[in-house]
Amino acid sequence: MFGYITPDKPELKISEFEIFRGYYCGVCKAIAKRAGHRGRFILSYDSAFLALLLDSLSSAPVSGEHKRCPVHPLNKRFIVNCGDVLEFSSDINILLAYYNLKDKWQDERKLFGPLGLLALRRGYKRVKKKHAALVRDIEKGLSELNELERSRCGQMDEASEPFAGIMQKVFEYPAESDSDKKILGWIGYNLGKWIYLLDAYDDIEDNIKRGAYNPLVIQFRYGENEDIGSFKERIKKEVEFILVYSLSEMEKAFSLLDVKKNRGILENIIYRGLLTKTRQVLEMGAG
Amino acid sequence: MRNPYEVLGLKEGASIEEVKKAYRELVKKYHPDRYRDNPLSDLAEEKLREINEAYDYIIKNAGSGQQRQSYQQRQSTNTSGFTGSYQYDSELVYRIKTLIQNGNFTQAQQLLDSMQVRDSTWYYLQGLLFLRRGWYDRANVLLRRAVEMEPNNPEYRDALNRVNSQYYGYRQNPYYYGTGYRQSPDMCSICTTLWCADSLCECCGGDLISCC
Repeated sequence: MFGYITPDKPELKISEFEIFRGYYCGVCKAIAKRAGHRGRFILSYDSAFLALLLDSLSSAPVSGEHKRCPVHPLNKRFIVNCGDVLEFSSDINILLAYYNLKDKWQDERKLFGPLGLLALRRGYKRVKKKHAALVRDIEKGLSELNELERSRCGQMDEASEPFAGIMQKVFEYPAESDSDKKILGWIGYNLGKWIYLLDAYDDIEDNIKRGAYNPLVIQFRYGENEDIGSFKERIKKEVEFILVYSLSEMEKAFSLLDVKKNRGILENIIYRGLLTKTRQVLEMGAG
Repeated sequence: MRNPYEVLGLKEGASIEEVKKAYRELVKKYHPDRYRDNPLSDLAEEKLREINEAYDYIIKNAGSGQQRQSYQQRQSTNTSGFTGSYQYDSELVYRIKTLIQNGNFTQAQQLLDSMQVRDSTWYYLQGLLFLRRGWYDRANVLLRRAVEMEPNNPEYRDALNRVNSQYYGYRQNPYYYGTGYRQSPDMCSICTTLWCADSLCECCGGDLISCC
């Protein structure tokens, strides 16, 4: 995961921020439990959002406690403890981080690759055993993704389909009813599309310099001598359309979800945070 | 039945005015037009039905001879449900539309592929299919193309308008732009400005900040 899903913090109430961070800490703790303390470094805001969203479907109040943790030993922090949902989110975080590192190691031979993989391997194996069907679906999606990269797919819709599909599977997996499954699936699909394409836009400069695959560079025919900044400016409108349209579809799905708590935080993320992030990446290129 | 006030997102005992206001907003939110190209349209319909029932129940029990006219009753006179038949569709076009509406994309795609002529209808239908399955970039291009080929067709124009209004509606929600605090200078630019001002003063022999 990429950590693009964040709230618009200045607009959040302090209590809401505490709760959001509580989910974040909760996922972190769950990761440490499954993948060891070294696993904590993979923690991402996206999985905190997943936990927050899924937990909001149950009417039980937010449960947790103020505790110290090894990462923040000085202050006591609110750490959410909502059982299965947190475990699931941390499982997904471990899984995607593992694939991500593996991919990076194969592509770029970054030094931390094997070290990170080693730390995550144990966690990955446990997750794979626990959610065998889901892991199969995800790995199928990833191989489709690799296939598209190999064939240098130059179409935003097509290139983002496998990752959107993976997120759809992830989000619908824990749903308890058919309608929740449809709604969560559509939220996941559109978020996945948004994440993939936002990341692609964010990586344009880096990808061009290294000659690595990027669907946007191919679709919009980046010319060899073209200035990267003006290229990004040239394609901004088209990319913004698909990003914002995906978010608007996700918002429609979210409207149908029977949210029992944390509505303020979720709405902050969905109506403000994601758009703010979109604008940041498009305007300033800062992930 | 759930507590009707809860369905409308209100506290029990809300005034009739509040009920009406909430009802109007919810109808807008779950309006079939807003969900027409969305795979969750059936769920939105269900939600709207629940909202109508809740509204009817409250108004009926308010017993003050209020005019009872829920959205559903008004709707039956205004629009004609699914894809609103603007014109006579050939059997094939009708079948493709139904398949898209039911989320049966593979079959719809097969029929589209088998169409010999790539006229505006083809572009329109292919655009609708892409829109429903989440391929928004292509959908947008194809729908625009259909409208360009046949600018006077109200059905194509409506579809393109829906796409545009959804895009601008979400993008221009009051939160996206006009976020005042972000446009005000941050600490970094304040410091730089001060530093520049100080240097300028020093050039002229004065001093703004004495320590540097």
